[in-house]
Amino acid sequence: MSVVLEKISKSYNSLPALANLDLEVKKGEFHVLLGPSGSGKTTVISIIAGLTKQDKGAVIIGDCNVNDLPPEKRSVGFVFQDYAQFPHLSVFENVAYGLRVRKVKEKEIIQKVDCYLSKVGIEKERNKFPHQLSGGQKQRVALARALITEPEILLMDEPMSNLDVLTKEKIESELKKIQKETGVTTVYVTHNQDEAFALGDRVSVLNNGMIEQIESPDELFYHPKTEFVANFVGAKNILNVRVIESDQNTVVAQVNNKNLNNPLKIMLKKYPIFKTVNEINLCIHPENIFIKKENNCVKKSINKIKGKIIYTENNTSVTKATIDIGGINLYAAIPKKLFNFKLYETVFVCFNMDAPHPLCGKGCRDIEAHRKCVNKNNKME
Amino acid sequence: MKGFSFDLTVSIITGIFMCLIILPVFALFTETSFEELIKQFKSPLVLSAIVISLKTSLIVVLVSLLLGIPAAYLLATKQFKGKEILDTLVDLPICMPPLVAGLALLILFGGSSRFGSFFISNGIDIIFSTKGIIIAQVFVSAPFLIKSTRSAFESIDKNVTNVSLTLGASKFYTFRKVLIPLAKNGIYAGIVMTWARALGEFGATSMVAGCIPGKTETMTVAVYQNAMSGKMNSSIAIALLLIIFSFTSLLIFKSRVRAQTGPV
Repeated sequence: MSVVLEKISKSYNSLPALANLDLEVKKGEFHVLLGPSGSGKTTVISIIAGLTKQDKGAVIIGDCNVNDLPPEKRSVGFVFQDYAQFPHLSVFENVAYGLRVRKVKEKEIIQKVDCYLSKVGIEKERNKFPHQLSGGQKQRVALARALITEPEILLMDEPMSNLDVLTKEKIESELKKIQKETGVTTVYVTHNQDEAFALGDRVSVLNNGMIEQIESPDELFYHPKTEFVANFVGAKNILNVRVIESDQNTVVAQVNNKNLNNPLKIMLKKYPIFKTVNEINLCIHPENIFIKKENNCVKKSINKIKGKIIYTENNTSVTKATIDIGGINLYAAIPKKLFNFKLYETVFVCFNMDAPHPLCGKGCRDIEAHRKCVNKNNKME
Repeated sequence: MKGFSFDLTVSIITGIFMCLIILPVFALFTETSFEELIKQFKSPLVLSAIVISLKTSLIVVLVSLLLGIPAAYLLATKQFKGKEILDTLVDLPICMPPLVAGLALLILFGGSSRFGSFFISNGIDIIFSTKGIIIAQVFVSAPFLIKSTRSAFESIDKNVTNVSLTLGASKFYTFRKVLIPLAKNGIYAGIVMTWARALGEFGATSMVAGCIPGKTETMTVAVYQNAMSGKMNSSIAIALLLIIFSFTSLLIFKSRVRAQTGPV
């Protein structure tokens, strides 16, 4: 079933947590709510579950407005951050709880619980108690318990925040597989962008109780609409620029930053947004930046800026370098094998004119999308 | 060496405190003999005091459970206007001198108040009856059960309740199957404290129910009455029995909880 939130507002002690929030989660979708602590993510799913009552707005599950339905009537499964297991019940009884509430026959309960325990890979732990389980096992119990009643909606509140990296990666892939198998509409809350991008069909980024952007993970990463989204999804190199020259296809913009020792101009594609806006934030993804020892950047790399490597960090496949370009830093991610520079070495930072993206989302950048958007607005008028 | 001195000081202070408890109890034992105790327990008046006390204190525990658990749940889980006042009212009998509590109940249920007259006119005598003992003891001891149970409810992770609701359970089902089992140690502790308090209650009970031997004379009242009338052997026998009851019930409770959760 789909979930629609219409103009939801919620305050705690007159401090607003959500403000006129609209959200649509499609049937069968794995939707991730991504945002920092206090952005209102947990409040959103608590409102969907009926555990928190919104001050204003409507919650629609399928075709029904469920505003007045208590949690037990909403057909939602909920996996909490701390797993919230019944400490006095065994793994089997924890998973069977929802079925016992529904007065399912004992034989069917045994069959179904065993089936779900094996689905999440903890059939051997069926007689243990929660305090005898590891974090990963507790997570699996919580998932099996939430799924066994075949809810229309599965809500998950940062369920992997207490797990180690290896367990997390394993459970991520299993969770995605189970979600696809069951087809349950899932709303997953996290503050971790890697988790959001690995799991989500679409990701909503929340900030101060409002959704800043809803996109697929790739769209979100490469086409962030706002500086907040760009920062939060890990996009680096955000520059505020002012257009100073423009021709049919290209724009020359000056970087606005008081820390710069010398004026810095960059050349970029002429996006539709520049027809209406003169000053804007740009984002250059680190993997679109090259570093050269001499001023011999490849032909299409039009922008060349002299700088000094001030910090490097290696991970398994790339070297992340921080380059001081005269008062401000740019970040580059270079394949490890190609990185043959020393710390504090003077280098040239190169990026072609396609690399800088205006932070305004796909609609303002893509000519086709922009056209569609304009036509749509005209029709509405 | 400093650590050793600290440990030694703490041990000595604890020893002094233990003496304050053990010496009076020991004094009671030295004042009687085993044969004398047996003889006293066979006396009809002593036996009747024991029966009245056990009967009323057990009823007090049941009534306190019935009235106290919902109150504890309300105070632990709900936010409402006047909660602070309700909370203070629940604690009031603990701070109130038992004689004052007894006096208040005497006035309320006495023939001169409308409330008391209503009961009397319907043939229900509360003053100078076992009903009076029960009411006085519930008034004084139920707050112990409420406080203990409330703490137990408060210590339960709220998400455990929430998860039960999202699994389709009603609030009552969640209360029965999740909250009560998880709060059981707090409830047991409350039961023991309430029972011990009811058993040892003197002031309010004697004000409301008087000291009618064989009818309203509880063990504690009998200890006082016998001591005042010079029957020290009866007084000591009942006092020792009260101590044995309290000590044994606490010991059983602690070992039961330890078996479930580790050291208490």
